[in-house]
Amino acid sequence: MKYKDTILVEVCRIMIPVIQLFSIYIISHGHLSPGGGFAGGAILGCSFIITHLVFGRTYIRKIINGNIIMKGMSISLIFYGLMKGYSFLSYDLHLPKIPTGTPGNIFSAGLILPLNIIVGIVVSLMMYFTFSLFLDGEI
Amino acid sequence: MELFSIIMLISLIVFSISISIVKDLLSTIIVFMVYSLIMAVLWQQLNAPDLAITEAAVGAGVTTFLFIAALKKIKGENK
Repeated sequence: MKYKDTILVEVCRIMIPVIQLFSIYIISHGHLSPGGGFAGGAILGCSFIITHLVFGRTYIRKIINGNIIMKGMSISLIFYGLMKGYSFLSYDLHLPKIPTGTPGNIFSAGLILPLNIIVGIVVSLMMYFTFSLFLDGEI
Repeated sequence: MELFSIIMLISLIVFSISISIVKDLLSTIIVFMVYSLIMAVLWQQLNAPDLAITEAAVGAGVTTFLFIAALKKIKGENK
């Protein structure tokens, strides 16, 4: 499933890094501006889907395969559970609080930035997983 | 309401009627994508930029790709 259209391939070669950079911007500024983990992750998953559609299945399998998807989602969910559990238990057990920087900086608002990054990873891999399962019947 | 939003709303009605009229399935998918994109502009006009980003990513991106994948499966079965 490889399209030989020159315009499509060249435009995607220029635009896909821009799309991924914009999605990383939306994820990392999720606590300061509109957007967040789900919206940025959906855009990142869209860039993976475009890569699959334009450059073919064998090209994207070198970057993302089933092993990477399972490991990425599992490790992300483990860290999500650890962070949410810490913020849930730290009030009762008097654990040290997460420092909240000055409002407006990137490294502020405590645990919201790592949680946004984790949600972005999970959503992007899930979008690509659903599409690949739907198109090829396997991952 | 501004004139721009009124034009957008009228074009939404036109697109949603034309989705049910057009016979070609690929054209229907593309018109549906344009409908979703205009909906994203309208969310921006209504001061909801968070919803506009999500609508543009999910409604115009992922849904279109899933519809195109389904259309490819359907045509492969027939031919």
